[in-house]
Amino acid sequence: MPVARFDGVAFSYPLTEPRRDRPFTLSDVSFELTKGEVFGVLGPNSAGKTTLIRLLSRVVAPTRGTIEIEGVSLAAMTRAELARRVAVVPQDMPQGLPFTVRELVLMGRYPHAPRRFFETSDDLAVAREAMAATGVLDLADARVGILSGGERQRVALARALAQEPRLLVLDEPTAHLDLRYQVECVALLRRVNRERGTTIVLVSHDLNLAGALCDRLLLLAAGRMARLGPPEAVLEETLLTTVYGCPVAVERNALTGRPVVQIAWRR
Amino acid sequence: MTRRLVGALATLAAILLAVAVVAVFLGSARLSPLTVLRTLGGGAGADSTENIVILGLRLPRIAAAVLAGGALAVAGVGFQALTRNPLAEPSVLGVSAGASFGVVVGQLVGSSGALFDTVRVAAFGFGGALVAGAAVYLIASVHGTFPIQTLLLAGVIVGIFFGAAVTVLISLVDIDRLGGVVHWLLGNIAPLPARSLLVFAALAAAGFAAIVSQARELNVLALGEEAARQLGIDAERVKVQVFVAAALLTASVVAFAGPIGFVGLIVPHMLRLLLGPDNRLLVPTAMVGGGAFLLVADTIARNAVAPAELSVGIITSFFGAPFFVYLLRTRRGVL
Amino acid sequence: MMTCVRLCGRSTCAVLLVAALLVLTAAPAGALTVVDMLGREVKLAGPPRRIVSLVPSATELIYALGGEDRLVGRTDFCDYPPAAKDKPSVGGMVSPSLETIATLKPDLVIATTSGNRLETFTRLEQLGIAVYAVHAQRIAEMLDVTRRLAELTGRQAALGPLISGLESRLFAVANAVRPYPRPRVLYVLWPEPLLVPASRALLTELIGLAGGDSITANERGDYPRFSIEAAVARAPEVILLASHSGSGAPPIAKDKWERLVSLPAVKNKRVHAIDGNLAHRYGPRVVDGVETLARAIHPEAFR
Repeated sequence: MPVARFDGVAFSYPLTEPRRDRPFTLSDVSFELTKGEVFGVLGPNSAGKTTLIRLLSRVVAPTRGTIEIEGVSLAAMTRAELARRVAVVPQDMPQGLPFTVRELVLMGRYPHAPRRFFETSDDLAVAREAMAATGVLDLADARVGILSGGERQRVALARALAQEPRLLVLDEPTAHLDLRYQVECVALLRRVNRERGTTIVLVSHDLNLAGALCDRLLLLAAGRMARLGPPEAVLEETLLTTVYGCPVAVERNALTGRPVVQIAWRR
Repeated sequence: MTRRLVGALATLAAILLAVAVVAVFLGSARLSPLTVLRTLGGGAGADSTENIVILGLRLPRIAAAVLAGGALAVAGVGFQALTRNPLAEPSVLGVSAGASFGVVVGQLVGSSGALFDTVRVAAFGFGGALVAGAAVYLIASVHGTFPIQTLLLAGVIVGIFFGAAVTVLISLVDIDRLGGVVHWLLGNIAPLPARSLLVFAALAAAGFAAIVSQARELNVLALGEEAARQLGIDAERVKVQVFVAAALLTASVVAFAGPIGFVGLIVPHMLRLLLGPDNRLLVPTAMVGGGAFLLVADTIARNAVAPAELSVGIITSFFGAPFFVYLLRTRRGVL
Repeated sequence: MMTCVRLCGRSTCAVLLVAALLVLTAAPAGALTVVDMLGREVKLAGPPRRIVSLVPSATELIYALGGEDRLVGRTDFCDYPPAAKDKPSVGGMVSPSLETIATLKPDLVIATTSGNRLETFTRLEQLGIAVYAVHAQRIAEMLDVTRRLAELTGRQAALGPLISGLESRLFAVANAVRPYPRPRVLYVLWPEPLLVPASRALLTELIGLAGGDSITANERGDYPRFSIEAAVARAPEVILLASHSGSGAPPIAKDKWERLVSLPAVKNKRVHAIDGNLAHRYGPRVVDGVETLARAIHPEAFR
C-alpha cells in the first residue's frame, strides 16, 4: 500500500481572484509515495509546491480529488490522527520563542495524546531519542530563541521526529543554512530514512540537492505535474529550460552518477 | 511537571492565605486582633458592629478582590498567549471598554428614585461586553478565520470607540452623579452580597476552566497557526474558545468591580519570570497569584488614607506604569 | 356599639372602630417610621440618637438647629461650622469608609443623591443601617430639609427661630432690591469650560432673590456647559465670577472677560469676583449667599 496517494487533486485559494489563464493553483495532480522512499518536489515559485505541503498536512482541503494516507482518506481522519502519520518541518520558526529545546520537541508528542495535560515519561523518552538523533540533546535546556539557524532547523526536525510519523515532509530544509549545515542536514535525513524507514518528502529550490538525495522527483510547473520520475528523467535539460525559463546544462556526477544541473549565467 | 505545578500552586496559595489573613485584621474600624479572632469564631453577636465589619464588609470584600484578581490575571495569560503579544491585556481587546460603557449607561438609565442594584448593573456590564466582543469578532473574522493581527486591531478600535462613548456620557451627566461615575471608572472592589459573589465565582470558574483546558494548545499555538494545525490542533476553535472565555472573565470583573487595569498585564509577566512560558503552569498559578496581587492592592487602597479610601485602580496603575517601563527597557527574553 | 351607631352614624363609627383597632395593633411603643425625601419609608427603633451625616449641608443645618450632640460622624467635607471638625470623619462623600460608619454604630445615616453614591445607600441598608435621603434644589426644599432634620434630632423648638431668622433676612434683601430694575446677570461658576447655573441649580433661585435676572436661568440641567458666544449674545449687564480659592483672590479669568469690551457688564465695570463657596451648600449660609449676591448685583441698594 502506498504511504500516500494523490488522486486527481486540484486546489485554488478562496481569497485570491482566480486568473483566467490559471483558475487553479494546483490541478490534476496524481501520484503515489512508496514506503521508505525519499521524494523530492521541485518547481519555480508559485508552481504549487507549498500548496502541496498544505494539502498533505490538511491545512487546506482539495477543491477536487482525494488524498489518502496509508489508504485512509485525509478527510476521514481527525487532525490528531493525521498529525500522528504526517509531520511537517517548516522552513523556519517564529523568532524569539521563549521555550526550551526540550519543551519544543515535546510539542511533537501532542497528537499522540491530545487530551492529556502533561506529557508522560514515555513522551519524554521519545523526545530524548529524537533530540539524540538530530544531535541537539546537549541543547535540551537551552532556549530556542538563542540558537543558530542550523541548530533551530535540527530542533524543528527533532520535533517532527518526536511525532513518530510515517511520512516526514520538509519545506525547503536547507534554505537558510550554511553550506556545512546543508551537508549535515542531508546526512541526517539520509540516516533517518535508512534507520527508521521513514518516507520523506522534500520540497526544495536546490535542484542538485534534490537530485543527490531523492529517489524520485516531481517537477511542478504552473500547478501541473510536468514530470514524475527518477532524477535522471526529471533533471533533463530541455525540460528544465522550459519550466524555469532560463538555459541550463545537465551533466553527470563522475562519482555518484547522479545528474548535476549547471546554470548558464549571463555576463 | 505535575510536581512543579503543585509546588508553585502551594506556594502561591500560602501567600494568598497570608495576605488574606493580614487583610482581615486591617481596616478603618481598628478592631483589635483578639476581637477579629473572636468574631471569626462566631463569638460576636448577630447584629454587632464586629460582625458587620468582619463578616459583612471585610470578608466579602476580600473574596471579591481575590476573584477579580484571579479572573483578570487568567484573562491576561489567555490574551497574551492568543495574540502572541506580551503587551496584550484584558483591556486591549475592547471588551473592558464595552463593559464600562454598559455599566455607565446602566447607572445613568433608571429613574432618580431607583436605587443601585448590583445585579442590574452587572447585567448592563455584560450587555456592553457582549456588544463589544461581538463587534470585535465581526470586524476581525475573515472568511470564518480569526487572524490574530486583525483581532488586535479590531480590539483596539472597539476599545477606543467605547472609551469615547463613555467620555461623551460623562460630559452629559449631572454634576451630582459625575463623582460617582468617575469613581466607578477608576475601578473599586466593594463588599459584594453573597448572591453576587456566588455568581461572580461561578463565572470566574467557567472562564478559568475554558482557558486552562486549552493551556497545552496555547503553548503549541506559539509555533504559529499553520504549524499548530499540522500538529493536530484546531487553531480556530482554540482561538474562539480562549477569546470568549477571556472576554467573559474581563466582563465579569468590570461588571462586579469596575475596570481595573494592569493586573492582567503585570501578574502573567511576573509569573512568567518565575515559572517560564508554559501556559499549563501559568494559567492555574495566575488564578491564585492574581488574587493575591489584587488583594494586596485593595488592602493598601482600603487602609492607606483611612478613613478615606483610594480606588484600587489607582494603586494598580501606580505600580503598573513603572513596571511597564521596566518591561520595555529590559526586554527580558521570556517576552 | 349600637348606641354608638345611633349617636354618630355608621361611617363615623366605622372610622372610630378602625382607629381603635389600629391603636391596639400598633407597633411596639417607640418604633418610628419616617418618609425621606425620596419617598422611601425608613424604619427606626426610636428617635435617632446617633446620626452620621454624609452631607455637608445637613451637617451645617444640624449645628444651626443645635442638634450636634446627636451627631456622631461626618465627612471630610463637613467643615462648617469649625466645631464640626471635632466629630470623627468617615471619609469622603463619594467613597466613605463603611467600616468606620459601622463602628460608630449609627441608628441613622443622612445621605443625598447629589453627592453620595447610590451604591453607598444600598450597602448601608444591606448592613442593617437606616439611611435617610435629603435633597434640595430650592430654598423651599432647604427649609423642608431643615424641618425634617429638626424632627429627626428632636430640635423642633429651635426650628421656628431659625427659619424665621432666615426668612426675615431674605425679606430684607427682597425689600432692598425691589425698587431697582433687574439687570441681566451672568454667573460664571467655572470659566473654562464655561459652566453656568441653569434651571435646576440653587444658584439660579438665589440670583433671582438677589434682584438679578440670570441669563442662563432657562437652560436645562443644573450646571451645564455653555458657549461663550451665546453668553456674549445675551449681553449680560453684570458678570459674577465665582472664586473657589479660600482667600477670595480674583478668579483666573477676570482679564479674559474684561477683554470683551462690547459687553455692557465690561463697559460699566460690573465684573465682580464672588466667593464660590457661599452659594453651593443648601444650609443656612445660603442666605449669606443671597446677601452677598445682592450686594454685588445692587450695590446701590446697600449704601
